[in-house]
Amino acid sequence: MSVRNSSARTNPTNTRSSRRRTFFTIVVLFAVIGVFVVRLVDIQVVQADSLTKDSVGNRSVGQVIYGSRGEIVDGNGVVLAGTVMRYNITMSPVNATPFKRTVDGKKVEVSVAEAAAEIGAATGQTGDAILLTISTALEANAKANFAYIAQKVDVDVLRAVQELHIPWTYSENSPSRVYPNGAVAGNLLGFLSGEGVPQAGLESGQDACLASTNGSETYEKGADGVRIPGSSVTSTEAVDGGDVVTTIDSDLQWFVQQTLAARAQETGAAWANAVVQDAKTGKLLAVADYPSVDPNNVGGTENPDDRGSRAFTQSFEPGSTFKALTAASVLDAGVAALDTGVVSPYRYLPSNGANINDSHSHPDQNMTLTGVLIDSSNTGMSKFGEMLTNQQRYDYMKAFGVGTATETGFPREDGGILHPADEWDNQTSYATMFGQGLTTSALQIASIYQTIANDGVRMPVQLVEGCRQADGTLTNVPDAAGTRVLSESAANDTSDVLEMVYQKSWVNSKWNIPGYRVAAKTGTAQMPDGHGGYSNGYLVSVSGFAPADDPQYVVSVSIADPVKLNTSAAPAPVFQEIMSQVLKKYRAVPSGASAPDLPSTW
Amino acid sequence: MSDNLARVSFAVEREKFETPERRPFRIVSSNPRRRARPRIFYALTAVAGMAAIIVAQLLLSVGISQGAYEISSLQSSQSELGRTAAGVSEDLVRVSSPQSLAANAEGLGMVTNSNPVYLRLSDGAVLGAPASASGSQAGAASLVPNALLTGSALLSQLPDDAAATTGAVAITSAPVVPAGLAAPTTR
Repeated sequence: MSVRNSSARTNPTNTRSSRRRTFFTIVVLFAVIGVFVVRLVDIQVVQADSLTKDSVGNRSVGQVIYGSRGEIVDGNGVVLAGTVMRYNITMSPVNATPFKRTVDGKKVEVSVAEAAAEIGAATGQTGDAILLTISTALEANAKANFAYIAQKVDVDVLRAVQELHIPWTYSENSPSRVYPNGAVAGNLLGFLSGEGVPQAGLESGQDACLASTNGSETYEKGADGVRIPGSSVTSTEAVDGGDVVTTIDSDLQWFVQQTLAARAQETGAAWANAVVQDAKTGKLLAVADYPSVDPNNVGGTENPDDRGSRAFTQSFEPGSTFKALTAASVLDAGVAALDTGVVSPYRYLPSNGANINDSHSHPDQNMTLTGVLIDSSNTGMSKFGEMLTNQQRYDYMKAFGVGTATETGFPREDGGILHPADEWDNQTSYATMFGQGLTTSALQIASIYQTIANDGVRMPVQLVEGCRQADGTLTNVPDAAGTRVLSESAANDTSDVLEMVYQKSWVNSKWNIPGYRVAAKTGTAQMPDGHGGYSNGYLVSVSGFAPADDPQYVVSVSIADPVKLNTSAAPAPVFQEIMSQVLKKYRAVPSGASAPDLPSTW
Repeated sequence: MSDNLARVSFAVEREKFETPERRPFRIVSSNPRRRARPRIFYALTAVAGMAAIIVAQLLLSVGISQGAYEISSLQSSQSELGRTAAGVSEDLVRVSSPQSLAANAEGLGMVTNSNPVYLRLSDGAVLGAPASASGSQAGAASLVPNALLTGSALLSQLPDDAAATTGAVAITSAPVVPAGLAAPTTR
């Protein structure tokens, strides 16, 4: 200390310069710090957002986590529609140049044409087609950096292409819908567009249950594509869709479709459908349509009308199968009994001015309700039907579900046409007794027979059991409460009459099922020509249920315009085969007691 | 300034009074040497420590990124295996479709019989009317298309060597009887 003091004292000029230097250093230091602070504020506050964005864009990779669209399963859990991952092979046309590949330790130059041929061999295209894709993309845009080589290929093709190690090819995920059973229930399932938008059927109607939500994930990766450890990851979870559980039995559905299609082709039909319904629960076990779409190959079905389910979406005048409803109404109202007789002429001219005739000429016949249904006499049915007022019959029809879309909620379902009773003209008043002047869908006819089979209690028509969530719970379960339409005795009497029809009908040999008691009715209805009149075509149908002593299954078959056989003989064998299969498949016990024997004349 | 001077003189006076004989000790020439040695020692220790920390950190980060590569490769092999599993189960579901089963059953010579007959064990009664299987119309060629089955061969059409290599096929292809069905052996 003393030394320093003495030197400071002895050398004042030195002290002064030292101070100046200190001062200068401090000023410079503060200036530098100031510059740093300004820059810091600039980076951290002023430009923070844009810089962060740039850095994320440079280093991080965003990727979509695909949520899986729910499955559609049948009543036994068999998958009818599922989601699988498919892959799009893409390329960069502008970078499509020759490249070097190491083969057996030697570098070999691969030309674009050779590469294209290799890709083509893997994807099932020709090399020229791929070269054309490249040149087309480059013509449209000389710097085109993206083009599809193949879309929605499976993992085998993807791997084959990846093994070629062509630097300008890439792949992307593309979740797709697959229908493992093909056209089985394809009419009901519907399909998705290429972009995954539901187009028809359950895919569309149950989309709220099936739809999934995609998630996303962002992470940072190094130049070699490996995720940087500890890099920030922001992710949104993907939400899978729920599964739609249907009441359909896929094996039975296949059998019904196959049987129906065989007969429809044999008879040259325009279209046909068949419905199998559980009589006690109202659940649909099979709804077959011909023609029907294979949702895996929608383009293979040219007519757009063939891609849906006519059983739901096309109503028609049912014809004589509807007489069962009129008979049941008459019996339930108590205005006639099984032994009530009428005189049924060939032509009947009621006092209101209508004009009714039977399909074939015959002398006046003394008939009971049973006889009228066996012969399917329009005049006889009119004489029974007029025992009720129009309004009463209308009310019965509404109670049976005619004129209202069923409870299935199927998209674009046709509820049929049923005008209010006070709008019926003279002819319609009578025509509605035997299934003309109104339209029903195939399902509504099945539902009428279900009501009769189930002791007069109509169950809601059910196609979907509910939406099964990830935790196994079923939501959106439809209401399964039945409504009584007929008294039990009226329903059983109608069933007995239909059983007589089954035994005595002229198609008996065609629909006979040995060992079982069956109740059924045929129908033959003229088809509209689309201009307010009738065409030459007929819609022929058979509806019925079995075993008649304890009805369990309803089968209804309709065939439109079978040009080679336009009578009920066309659908009767289909009814026989389907009903036999249903009874066998579900182990229905053969009927023990013998069928009732009701008089058809008096 | 005057204050400062006063203090200095005060200190000088104190030195004079209190430590007159110690002066020779204070200007020991060995003093700077002693101080210089520990400085180098400490600096080396600090540098070595820092180096150790840096090396450790490097090793750690190498270890972590090695783990990242391992995770990355495991993840990619997991996703590849997942793809394989999905593809295989897709095949399984496809061949279990009714069309495939029916076609294979027919290929093996089976016919459908939709005429159910039951034997009631309690009294031996035969319920239903027995009739021989005629092969119903459902036995015709598949009228219910399935685009997924395009190109897949029936089991009975597989060549023998292919049948021998797959156990399941070998079992099912055994009962093929070209001239109708053989009568079952009953005892």
